[in-house]
Amino acid sequence: MKRKWVMSGTAVMLMLSVVLGCAKGAGTDKPNEQTSKPASNSAAVDNKDNKKPFEGVTLKAALVGGGSYEKLYESIPKFEQETGAKVQITYKGNFFDLDKKLKIDFASKSDDYDVISNHSSFYSQYVDSLEPLNNLFSADDMKDFTPMILNGGKRDNNLYMIPRLADISVYFYRTDLYNDESNKTKFKQDYGYDLAPPTTLDQFKDQAIFFTKNGKGINGTQFAGKEEALTGRFYELVNAYGGDFFDKDKKVILNQEAGIKAATMLQDLYKAGAMPKGMVNFLWDEVAKNFGNGNVAVYSEWPGWYTWMDDPASTKVAGKFDVVRAPAGPSGVHPGWSGAHGFSVTKSSKNKPAAAALIKFLTSADNMYADSKLGNMPTRQSVWDKVLSDAKASGDARKINFYNVLNTALKEDFRTPPLIKEWIPLSNILYPYLQKIILGSTTPKQGLDDAAKDIEKMMKQSGN
Amino acid sequence: MKAEASLADRQYVLKESVFDSLRASKWLFAVVFVAPALIFLTLVVVIPMLYSFYLSFTNFNLVLKINKEFVGLDNYVALLSDSTFLLSLLRTIVFMTLAVNLELLLGLLVAQLLAKPMKGEGFLRTALMVPMMMPPILIGFQFKWFFNDQVGLVNNLIYAVTGQTTQIPWLIDAVLGFISILTAEIWMGTPFIAIILLAGMLSLPKEPFEAADIDGATRFQKFYYITRPLLAPYMLIALAIRSLDISKAYDLVKIMTGGGPAQRTELIWTYVTRLSMVDSKFALGCAMSFVSVAISFVFTVYIYKQLVAARR
Repeated sequence: MKRKWVMSGTAVMLMLSVVLGCAKGAGTDKPNEQTSKPASNSAAVDNKDNKKPFEGVTLKAALVGGGSYEKLYESIPKFEQETGAKVQITYKGNFFDLDKKLKIDFASKSDDYDVISNHSSFYSQYVDSLEPLNNLFSADDMKDFTPMILNGGKRDNNLYMIPRLADISVYFYRTDLYNDESNKTKFKQDYGYDLAPPTTLDQFKDQAIFFTKNGKGINGTQFAGKEEALTGRFYELVNAYGGDFFDKDKKVILNQEAGIKAATMLQDLYKAGAMPKGMVNFLWDEVAKNFGNGNVAVYSEWPGWYTWMDDPASTKVAGKFDVVRAPAGPSGVHPGWSGAHGFSVTKSSKNKPAAAALIKFLTSADNMYADSKLGNMPTRQSVWDKVLSDAKASGDARKINFYNVLNTALKEDFRTPPLIKEWIPLSNILYPYLQKIILGSTTPKQGLDDAAKDIEKMMKQSGN
Repeated sequence: MKAEASLADRQYVLKESVFDSLRASKWLFAVVFVAPALIFLTLVVVIPMLYSFYLSFTNFNLVLKINKEFVGLDNYVALLSDSTFLLSLLRTIVFMTLAVNLELLLGLLVAQLLAKPMKGEGFLRTALMVPMMMPPILIGFQFKWFFNDQVGLVNNLIYAVTGQTTQIPWLIDAVLGFISILTAEIWMGTPFIAIILLAGMLSLPKEPFEAADIDGATRFQKFYYITRPLLAPYMLIALAIRSLDISKAYDLVKIMTGGGPAQRTELIWTYVTRLSMVDSKFALGCAMSFVSVAISFVFTVYIYKQLVAARR
């Protein structure tokens, strides 16, 4: 009898170990790509006297992929060679998907990566799970970074994100349409002033409606119409109309006069057919492609799209567009919803100095200069100066204008959204109301009042 | 040669003795073989489910700094006053009802056509399976393009036929958006019902039909009085499977409209995902999931009872 029990027990244990072994194997995160290559052909690897600083350290990273990021990641083997550390990118996705993953991983304490991609709009949500970088980065490390952009990654005097690139929108407009003589004459007749790239939001609205009526099937303008993309655009318009989302006491004021005027402008443009009917389903890719296909006259866009837009193999508008600073609102403020992409170290990281070294490498002047060639706006002053002097040396008038406009926008209009952890929850409450307003399902006042009520409730629940 | 045979015999005897020992206790034998599955299910299904059930009674949020406090039925009560939830629930029920019934009608029609021997029936039956081979995400992208207001096939077709240049906002308008998603769902689901009904039709006995022919019954009478009742169990099985499938609809809606704009095409599971993962209201999302599962459960029990009744 005893033998039977022993044998049965052994069989159960065997099966258990197989099942648990399978489960463990299934749950193991496999690096999908960019697995590090050992530093080959390096005599230093085997030389104990000349040991590299992070020999034997493996850094895991959850990062944004695609676009100019892929070029940056191609430089990682150089970091591995120099430091001896290995880098495994265990997750790649766009910012919205990465944000969802990070929230879940941090909440369940299952984050097992050292470095993450971060954004000034997102990082406030997870500061509790991020390592303050004050002790990992010296004043010397940070002196080259533009202070205004660096501050976008600070909370309570703690720095949580090192910016890789800055983002501020400028208005792209079609030079062929604006320089067309018949358009100029007709516009002057209809509106009483010369057709030129808009300097005020009123002019922008006039021109958007004008081109819709006279542009042979094109839409005057467009905005990204959902998620934080819409909330951010609305935020900068509210600023331009002289308002804000919160007052000094953190009371929601987006439903006041400025908010209503901004929402009314969006509703009027949609109602007049000056924006595509499907714009409420547009995100960044869709608006860029729509302009690239020649369907839009003037709109707000991120500078990172400039290079792609100017490539004749990619778009129909290559060489036929230019940029202008975002037109000012009645308050004199220019829309300037801005942000910065960057990198952070997680609190759970077991290799924080190595993680900081990787971030220093990714945001080095060399890498940033290479990024700028792809249209990204550098966050280091030295690189920015180099980019401007390169543009001047090229003698290309459009290029010079592009960088000058960016420089002005960056210096004068850079404004991050409120640096609160509730920004994305706020956006998720607000944007469906904005969609209702744009589509005409509700009035600007009613829609914003309802949104403000829900946002107040969420803020209270959050302990504000 | 002899040594090899002797070794094989010893191994055989050893295996026999292990199994004999296990068979000696039937209970133990059963436990040993069921245990891995039970342990696995407990780890990946039962425990997470119980934990999420517990979470539905708390105020757990993924982002906001709130302690996980027990709030009783607050989340369930909040759902009752959440107009978006109630609308999503109603929309899901209407969506399911329309989709299942239209799929059944179309499936019946297709099955009737394919039940008759004809030239190329093998090709037609294979072609019928194509939508079933495609993942819902792909179908979502396909129909998203069909119904795109600017470059979509449908608007271009309307333009080609009528000369009407107005862009019809298929995926923007509440009713048109619903119809667009419904069309995609029906295209995806009809073949499944058709295949089940076709299998049912081919297995029906011939005698009742021959008797009906002798009695001079019309085609409609034969369908109504013979085919329909004999096919009922197949129909109910197909209905039960498709109803449960559609009540879980997510992929298609997510790809085609994302539940928007302005939550106009939100179905229950897109709303659950939005609440839990995007808005970070995890506890509320859990509560909503359990309400949805409870409704599906009641519905399944009803269909099952109908199935049992049809087989009597």
